[in-house]
Amino acid sequence: MDFGFQLSPSSAVNLDTVDRRRYDALVQLEPDALTCIGCGSCSATCTASPWSGMSVRKVLLGLQRGRDGEVDRMLSACMLCGKCSMVCPRGINTRQLILTLCRLDKNGEVVR
Amino acid sequence: MTNRQPVIAVIGAGIAGLEAAHQLAALGYKPVLIEKAPVVGGHVAEWNRLFPDMTPAAEVLEPLRARAEGIKTLLNTEISAINRLKDEYNIVLGDGTTLLCQAVLFATGFHLFDASRKEEYGYGIYNRVITNRDLEQWFNTRQDSRIDHPKAVGFVHCVGSRDLKAGNAQCSKVCCITAIKQAIEIKEEFPDAEVYCFYMDLRLFGKKYEDFYIRAQRDYGIHFIRGRVSEVGEAIDGRVVVKAEDTLSGRPVKVTLDLLVLMAGIVCNPDARHYAQQIGVARDEDGFLESRNNLDAITESSRPGVFFAGACTGAKTVPETLAEARSAALAIHLYLSKRA
Amino acid sequence: MRERFASGFDPFVIPFLIGMFFVLGYCLVAMVRVIAQLPKDDRKRFLLSLIKPKYIWMNLRDIFLNCLIHVKLWQRNKVLGYMHSSIAFGWFMLIVLGHLEVMLFVPERIHLFYYPIFFNYFVAETESTVQGSLLMFLMDFFLLMILSGIVLAVIKRFASRIVGMRRTTRLSLMDRVGLYSLWAIFPLRLLAESFTAHISGGSFLTIPANWIFRQFLGNDLNALPTWWAYSIALMVFMCVLPFTRYMHIPAEMLLIPMRNAGIKIRHPRKGFASLEVYSCPGCGVCIDACPMSVQKVNCKDATVYLNRQLRRGDERRIAEISDKCLLCGKCSAVCQVGVQGPELRLAQRERRKYALSPAFAGLDTAALVSAAASGGGPGKVLYFQGCMTRLTPSIRRATTSLLDKADVRWQLMDPDEGLCCGRPLMMAGRTEQARELIAKNREIIRASGCDTLLLSCPICYRVFRDEYALEGVRVVHHSVFFQELIAAGKLQVRHEEGLRLVWHDPCELGRGCGIYEQPRQALAAAGELVEADRHHAESICCGGSLGSLTLSFGQRVPMVRNALDKLTAAAPDQIVTGCPLCLATFVREADRPVRDIAEVLDERS
Repeated sequence: MDFGFQLSPSSAVNLDTVDRRRYDALVQLEPDALTCIGCGSCSATCTASPWSGMSVRKVLLGLQRGRDGEVDRMLSACMLCGKCSMVCPRGINTRQLILTLCRLDKNGEVVR
Repeated sequence: MTNRQPVIAVIGAGIAGLEAAHQLAALGYKPVLIEKAPVVGGHVAEWNRLFPDMTPAAEVLEPLRARAEGIKTLLNTEISAINRLKDEYNIVLGDGTTLLCQAVLFATGFHLFDASRKEEYGYGIYNRVITNRDLEQWFNTRQDSRIDHPKAVGFVHCVGSRDLKAGNAQCSKVCCITAIKQAIEIKEEFPDAEVYCFYMDLRLFGKKYEDFYIRAQRDYGIHFIRGRVSEVGEAIDGRVVVKAEDTLSGRPVKVTLDLLVLMAGIVCNPDARHYAQQIGVARDEDGFLESRNNLDAITESSRPGVFFAGACTGAKTVPETLAEARSAALAIHLYLSKRA
Repeated sequence: MRERFASGFDPFVIPFLIGMFFVLGYCLVAMVRVIAQLPKDDRKRFLLSLIKPKYIWMNLRDIFLNCLIHVKLWQRNKVLGYMHSSIAFGWFMLIVLGHLEVMLFVPERIHLFYYPIFFNYFVAETESTVQGSLLMFLMDFFLLMILSGIVLAVIKRFASRIVGMRRTTRLSLMDRVGLYSLWAIFPLRLLAESFTAHISGGSFLTIPANWIFRQFLGNDLNALPTWWAYSIALMVFMCVLPFTRYMHIPAEMLLIPMRNAGIKIRHPRKGFASLEVYSCPGCGVCIDACPMSVQKVNCKDATVYLNRQLRRGDERRIAEISDKCLLCGKCSAVCQVGVQGPELRLAQRERRKYALSPAFAGLDTAALVSAAASGGGPGKVLYFQGCMTRLTPSIRRATTSLLDKADVRWQLMDPDEGLCCGRPLMMAGRTEQARELIAKNREIIRASGCDTLLLSCPICYRVFRDEYALEGVRVVHHSVFFQELIAAGKLQVRHEEGLRLVWHDPCELGRGCGIYEQPRQALAAAGELVEADRHHAESICCGGSLGSLTLSFGQRVPMVRNALDKLTAAAPDQIVTGCPLCLATFVREADRPVRDIAEVLDERS
């Protein structure tokens, strides 16, 4: 039957079911990540952002909202230039945060 | 105690100092105002109009000034040293004279953050970048070559406040509302200009502030962009290019402006910290002077005979400062009566 | 001259022989292993170098100057220099002279390892001849020299400040055993030789000592036990040597020829890296030198402790030390052995495993390539401002303004500001990803046809110079470029009398690329140049370095303040540097203007 539109799964984030293991592991290792106020300085200054949409703010948010694919896409553009660390008003060591995150597998375990 | 009127040194003749001195004189004491600048009035004297009612600053300042007319006021006077005696304080002034007093009131106010320290915003580098103070001065004098019929104006909130890197993690409290006030004034002055406010969070806590915000949105069409400006570049024509992230849409934004106003934050007056150190008055973690407690003894220090009024203990609005000045006068009165 | 024992043997030499064979065997195996661990091309290169006269001469000279005389240490600290060279050179001379004695007087015994060491026990009355008494004198002289060094060493251990070191290394248990046995060897030798001096002869040290001993010890019964003790001390020292910092003595003798042959660290733990680790004498000079040491908690992260942890294999600590370092290179600059602290750490970082890695091979730079090609051309300067310069717009502004003033034709390499030079990736140990980025950037530079690549950031400068292989393109830091323009008269800079300027050597520019003088010459044109408390190769990192992965903003603040403190020792009016990161870091804490060299020059031209 054709309704003239398609049923698609809800795009709402279900906080009851979202898998936050990676985020939890990250804040264990880099507790400063908890202090992000989402001001967007890191995104605006990001050297890779113009061609990749990289944003540390979005990475942190994405991890908490179950958007892992988007997070990984962004992370794979990071050139580690450190500008985000320079501008973060909360003094988060974003560069190390990214490196630590890249070391975590899907289950939030550090790869060895 | 002798029958002589107790002398109270009031350091700083801004609105806090003027009001406190007036109240102390009314209570029968002999306040002495010590002011570094050649005029009284402090920051308010440099401001044009005040939020939230667009009251001309002079309207607030004039009565304060008039009431303090008969009070001994030392202008252009620096303090070289303050010594704590048994239960008095001896203040050595810049000209070598000394002032013996029974109580000291810090009404030293604040300093605006030096915006040139945030290199990436280009203050002092680009001609089109000014500060909130520069803009108020222009409102007063209409003389500033940097402001020339701008078609696009930006306001950057939180410059040197809520910024660990600038050494000031605190919210300066009054910049959000000041930015909205100034944005409205710019819009009144240049109705064709597009005005952008770049903010991290809008903190509009005071009476009528929210109404002011609504007017800015509805009546003046000011664009509010939730994103902290990361860097300011220069276009070929000399205009400035502001980069930020519009965090609400999750997209980077870039806008070319004729004028960029940096809302420099509020930091403690370094002189106040210097004096406080000499008499063992503590400094709080935020860099401001430390009150005995932050609930019911804001105007009192941990040292007997040393009192605070206004922005020396943190960012304050005008009504808060005036209320504190009166409260400090009463606290001094209680302190001296108890001793008599 | 006569031999005291026809057999030429006494059981007390056995401990010495055990130690001797153990240490020689161990070192031989270790040496073969290190050489075998080298990558094939490195190994070939090294072995070939050993037969080339030029390298043989270089190796001998360097081993003599560094291992025996400790020239680098002398330059740094005379007391420490004397202490080390007196022990090393003195001991070396004792061994050489011992062999000489054997060859001269009992050449048939030369095949006995212990004869030169215990010569005075086995051979008597050599002082009666001219050669004998001269040799005796020299033996006592060098023994005295060693003993004076030992006295200094004891003082250093218990009061390091007297010898000019604020901090000295905390020793491990094995190191202590080695240290005390080393200290014991020479006093025991003095005792042993003194006890036998009336039989075997002696000189100005041993004969009077012998006379004193004989005043209250009427017989020779003490002689043999002291020779035993001496031999045992030697055995203990030689048996623990491979497990202590004294392993640096044999290791350095291999390190020097390998370094001369141009071998570099290619594996985090094997080959040259392990040789560097074992060559660390644990002197602790790097602790005081390290800019992180302003906080006591960071002292344990100095290179000397990295080497120790690498030997122990404590992975957690190795990672911690490797990631914290600012990579400023000052420990290498002061290290007398030349252990490369930053390179060792980078090798550890490269070893790390990641679940996710960035990829740049697919990066689309076609637009940049064609833009570069259309605007560029020979004679034109390609200016790459780099990521950090975008946060310090004054640098870009002053640089381009100076270029215009000098009529230099220029264009921006990356006007859209989307590229990084790759050095930060390398500093994080992601070399492979850096190579991909480098390849992309190289295409743009090549396409531009420009013959000069100008950098205002030393971090970029270093990687473009060392890793890009841009034959035909001159890679130049702006401080050097402007100095040349001034020298050539193309830029006129007004000299301001009385304006005191101090130059901060950025790590990557100074120690990293060896550029010290050109910026100073350029600044001298603008004002009066003053020097910081520590400058040139000893300059202190600003504390903002991208080299450190884990240092937080707050942890860096004391380092920034310390660097500023040293920088402003000569009361300069302005602090001048040539690195956007140093600039941004200093501006936050400085009590006076901090400027880029381009700004200072631009203002006065």
